[in-house]
Amino acid sequence: MLKKLYRAALVTTAAAFFAVTSLASFSVNAKGVYQSGPDFFAEVFAPLQAEAKVLWLTPEIRAQAAAIVDRPVRGLRIRYHQSNKKTAWILEEIGKEMPITIGVVVEDDVIQQVKILAYRESRGGEVRYPAYTAQYNGAALQEDYRLNQNIDGITGATLSVWAVNKVAALALYYHAVVNQSSTTNQP
Amino acid sequence: MRNKPSLNSKSVNGIKTNILWHRRLGLSTFVVLIFLAISGFALNHSPGLKLNQINLSSNWLLTWYGFEVPVAEGFHVGEKWFYQDGNKALLVDGNSVASCTAPLSAVAQTTDGIFALCADGLKLLTSDGQLVEQFGAIDGLPANTQSVTVFDNRIYLTIGSTTIASETMEFNANTLGLTVADVAPQTLKDTQQTATPLPKFLQKKLKEQSPGPSISLETVILDLHSGRFFGQFGVLFIDLIGLLVCILSITGLVAWIKRR
Repeated sequence: MLKKLYRAALVTTAAAFFAVTSLASFSVNAKGVYQSGPDFFAEVFAPLQAEAKVLWLTPEIRAQAAAIVDRPVRGLRIRYHQSNKKTAWILEEIGKEMPITIGVVVEDDVIQQVKILAYRESRGGEVRYPAYTAQYNGAALQEDYRLNQNIDGITGATLSVWAVNKVAALALYYHAVVNQSSTTNQP
Repeated sequence: MRNKPSLNSKSVNGIKTNILWHRRLGLSTFVVLIFLAISGFALNHSPGLKLNQINLSSNWLLTWYGFEVPVAEGFHVGEKWFYQDGNKALLVDGNSVASCTAPLSAVAQTTDGIFALCADGLKLLTSDGQLVEQFGAIDGLPANTQSVTVFDNRIYLTIGSTTIASETMEFNANTLGLTVADVAPQTLKDTQQTATPLPKFLQKKLKEQSPGPSISLETVILDLHSGRFFGQFGVLFIDLIGLLVCILSITGLVAWIKRR
């Protein structure tokens, strides 16, 4: 009788352990594409339709962008959407090994929204949670091209946090560049 | 004075046979034994000799170990070679220009630029191979895009499927827009450029930049020492040598005892 009870307890413990570890691994594994680029732009500017524009990266812009993300910036142009003083950018930055695709909305030189559109790393996907990305709302660019707000990190997702910080600063810089050029182009 | 006991002819024959076989075994195993001694010595001092840090990557060795040696191929477009480095980069004449997850399926050229299709998206390049921008799945590149082809200076993407027939879409490089095209996939397939082996100097450069799989010298020596290098027969051969060494020891011991 005792033997049977002991066996039942052992089986129950093993099953519970399996269930808990499965759930834990499911929650940590955050790989996936959450939203496409066109859907992101449509959502950001709804009900209006923003104008799709291109920012050509001059050597000066490229050099400053490289300083912000701390690596060479590839590509000659960046696409963005604009409606009045609101711009939306989709940029990529490598967390540890794989690129994270991040959507950033900037209005009046401050961040209005940061959204993780695709996360490809096996760990550190907690950066996609709105509770984390909401920290960027209202952040602006300082003179040293860093965010003027402190962003709380996430244990185990340090590299992803750094990647999102860099992209947020880069989007603010690009926004400043396009607004500056539109201001100077005005008659 | 005590005389030594004389050996009868049977004993003499026995000793002679024993020595004969001892000699035969010694002659047939000494080369292998010397090799085993040297390789064993090398393995014993492997960390000091840094054998595990010496990597061998010759094609025949990799093939022998069952590695698939990739044929370095690329697309020769606009007097330049476009190829993937086996890692995550698109190379143009040896220079990394963009990230590119393998395989690099197609490269095509219009008068405006060059278009390279990797697994992670379409790379838009200038005529001199500089990256303009990337068009990936998140931007609207259809899944299962199989190739990019230029026909009549227009860019077409062939989207394949295992269940329905392939369809073609025209790609606008300025707006990154896609529209359904009325060009038959077969027409595009006929005009599509296929990958060809890279010239030798680029193959050499590629090997330097991205060495690919390799086997440590320690592994090779260990496998030679144990006979595994030659498969199951090699192992059996080394087993046989071990057995012969045992017999060699016994015949040697017997010869020594009988001669006393």
